Amino acid sequence: MSRFFYAKLAATNLKKNAQTYLPYILTCMGTVMMYYIMVFLAENEGLGKMSGGFQVQTILKLGSYVIAIFAVIFLFYTHSFLIKRRKKEFGLFNILGMEKKHIAKVLGFETLYVGVISLGAGLLGGILLSKLIFMVLLKILNFEVPLGFNVSGPALADAFALFAGIFLLTLLNTLRQIHLAKPVELLQGGQTGEKEPKTKWPLVVIGTLSLGGGYYISLTTQSPLAALSQFFYAVLLVMVGTYCLFTAGSIAVLKLLRRNKGYYYQTRHFTAVAGMMYRMKQNAVGLASICIMATAVLVMVSTTVSLYIGMEDVLRTRYPQTIMISAPVSAQQSVESLQRSVHKVLAKHRLVVKDRLDYRYLFFPGNQEGGRVITAESKISNATSSLREYYLIPLEDYNRLTHKTVSLGDREILIYSGPSKYENDTLTVLNRTFTVKERLDSFFENTLEGSSISGSYYIVVKDMNVIKAMKATLAEENGDKPSDYNYYLGFNLDAGEADISAVYQDIRTAVGSDYPGSSIESPVAAKESFFAVYGGLFFLGIFLGALFIMATVLIIYYKQVSEGYDDKARFEIMQKVGMSREEVKGSIRSQILTVFFLPLVTAGIHTAFAFPIISKLLAVLYLTNVGLFVWCTAGTILVFALFYALVYGLTAKVYYRIVSWGMSV
Amino acid sequence: MTILEVNNLKKVYTTRFGGSHVQALANVSFSVEQGEYAAIMGESGSGKTTLLNILASLDKPTSGEVLLKGKRLSTIKEREISAFRRENLGFVFQDFNLLDTFSLQDNIFLPLVLSGKSYEEMSRRLEPIAHKLGIGDILAKYPYEVSGGQKQRCAVARALITQPQLILADEPTGSLDSQAAEGLLRLFKEINQEGQTLLMVTHSVKAASHAQRVLFIKDGEVFHQLYKAGMSDEAMYQKISDTLTTMATGGVRHE
Repeated sequence: MSRFFYAKLAATNLKKNAQTYLPYILTCMGTVMMYYIMVFLAENEGLGKMSGGFQVQTILKLGSYVIAIFAVIFLFYTHSFLIKRRKKEFGLFNILGMEKKHIAKVLGFETLYVGVISLGAGLLGGILLSKLIFMVLLKILNFEVPLGFNVSGPALADAFALFAGIFLLTLLNTLRQIHLAKPVELLQGGQTGEKEPKTKWPLVVIGTLSLGGGYYISLTTQSPLAALSQFFYAVLLVMVGTYCLFTAGSIAVLKLLRRNKGYYYQTRHFTAVAGMMYRMKQNAVGLASICIMATAVLVMVSTTVSLYIGMEDVLRTRYPQTIMISAPVSAQQSVESLQRSVHKVLAKHRLVVKDRLDYRYLFFPGNQEGGRVITAESKISNATSSLREYYLIPLEDYNRLTHKTVSLGDREILIYSGPSKYENDTLTVLNRTFTVKERLDSFFENTLEGSSISGSYYIVVKDMNVIKAMKATLAEENGDKPSDYNYYLGFNLDAGEADISAVYQDIRTAVGSDYPGSSIESPVAAKESFFAVYGGLFFLGIFLGALFIMATVLIIYYKQVSEGYDDKARFEIMQKVGMSREEVKGSIRSQILTVFFLPLVTAGIHTAFAFPIISKLLAVLYLTNVGLFVWCTAGTILVFALFYALVYGLTAKVYYRIVSWGMSV
Repeated sequence: MTILEVNNLKKVYTTRFGGSHVQALANVSFSVEQGEYAAIMGESGSGKTTLLNILASLDKPTSGEVLLKGKRLSTIKEREISAFRRENLGFVFQDFNLLDTFSLQDNIFLPLVLSGKSYEEMSRRLEPIAHKLGIGDILAKYPYEVSGGQKQRCAVARALITQPQLILADEPTGSLDSQAAEGLLRLFKEINQEGQTLLMVTHSVKAASHAQRVLFIKDGEVFHQLYKAGMSDEAMYQKISDTLTTMATGGVRHE
């Protein structure tokens, strides 16, 4: 036997199975390419040196892990599909006298070819495309685009090692399957007798409950902070629910339909119900995966896109005023000297303050438990929805800002608790019990509230003496801080970004050193880092979205091919028994449509139900513009649906070619 | 009354790129009378299956014509051909052609469901047939759960339930063991005695010996035919064997 026999045989095999192997190789190439680019960007020194680059690279690094995990699962899955189709071929080799070790040799060569082609082309494509993607990323991030082109050695090595490992694993897994199987089993391969699926009621119940639970969490979670911790559980429940309902629920529904004789024995429903039952048994897991992947794409892309588009809104929510100063005040660092420094800077730039807002306040976090507030740092729990931020403001400042003349007793307060009402008549905080004199419906605008992700309580107390006394109690509880209370000064400026930026820098120098612990913020200064983070997320969302779409496309393609082979025989029988070609075609088309659009529709429903909790999560990221998010979600769904339909249309052609090949009439 | 009339049927297959021509049927003419039980015999490649496909209107002849109850198959519109086939012809195949996705009962109902019959009518029709074929207690099962003989009886039930003019059977005993085959042939005889016209294509001498008339096809032509008349199955078997030997050893054609 020639030395090259196995190598040649392997090459012929690949060529012969091009219909299924070509998409597989293309996917491998695509995944290699994307992984290389992601690692390349995450490791890129130029990007790391830019301001905000570090955050971006952390995000990208995360992205590269996602791709790696995804690649392992996905390539494994598709490869097992390929092998399932080819078992008959291996059985034939086996019967024709090839030993299993020879088959292993052939398979080894095949894997080598696939590996070399995909790694070679994928890495080459990655290198060529990396510059383009790099520029796109920089554009998204609003960064300067540097010249030059480079190839990252570590990224190459990284991608090579990962994918060589994956290919080796798929080979070993195939060999294990071949080794365990008897030749006759191999010959029968795909067509082991199809039992009618049983209705697994426990799974239906579990599925319904988990899906319902997931939806319930999403619909009922109120506080953004709770959303952060609950979101994970909701996702998990919905995933479990999707898998259970696709596998067991679909069968249960179809069986119920079949039991209804008047419905079942109608020309249109008869073949459809039976056919769907068979298809769902075959494809439920794959379809559930498509559904979850589609949901992931929809959620990821819609959120990152709306964050990116809504960046201005985000900045406005997070930084309601152009310049925002809050500084600790004590005997040495008086309010007056702070105001003098700021005015000096403004005078230098010849700018006039607009919408000036200033007040003294005492801030502390705490857990609101009924009418009591727990303030001891050691006892505060961050994870619960009872976490609040408390701002104590003297009546004097309140009256000044709201032009009112309210009066308060020593133990009386006004309370503003945001959109949710404060239920109790008293408030016990820091060993003092206050009576709520009035619950305010609104407070002065542009407070620090916007930057808070948990609920904030604004409490107006009689005077600074109360605040100072409470500060003392707080210091006893949590250790002393040098300041007595804080002072907030915020205003807008009628000026360009450059001027504002200069003012901001000057105030920083003037105030920052005199008031340690002060914070000086401006949307203009924060813009860059917001661009870095949200731009990075946006990029990642689109990138991973593309990857998932590629995966979805491939799964759909393979499903079509395998459905095609299965349907061919049934197609012929139905014709012989008296169905016209058009009838058969119509019936199969409608079934296939249902099968493939079920995941899309379900993904749409998932996304709709995820909407409330995700808008809460976006609030954590300071995006409160729900309208924008609605539009982005709708847009993403639309684009995705179009894409999905396009892919379906293209792959359906392959399907019909298989089914109608060599057909009579 | 003549149910089926076949005149000068010719079928030439052309390979996809028109390279070579293969003549499956050269010139076939015969007819089947109402209530008759006829068998067509021939070796592999003699054109049996092609003939059957044309009779079943699954394939079109190159020339010649097929008349079912005086109606030319070629005049039936493409749209109506399936309904025509469904209402006038019943099929029994070698490999049963039952759909794994349906229970046996639903397989039998399939042609009626396609014709839009109600469930009540279908079960009314099925009852006597199921009783006669002895499949009453397996109707809820699936094709992969029952034996070959049972599958074939269900296929027969599917062919009978439409009350067709003619049942076409393609090598119906081909996938059955001898006992099941014997049972099926007895069944065919019974059905025929009740007035059902049957046309069976086979190369099993045993199967053919049950028929009233046997047509022999060789090289795409009707080579010879035998009438059973009052003969016993055994005598018929002998006669068919002799004819086949003559054909195989290159005997001269005689009527």
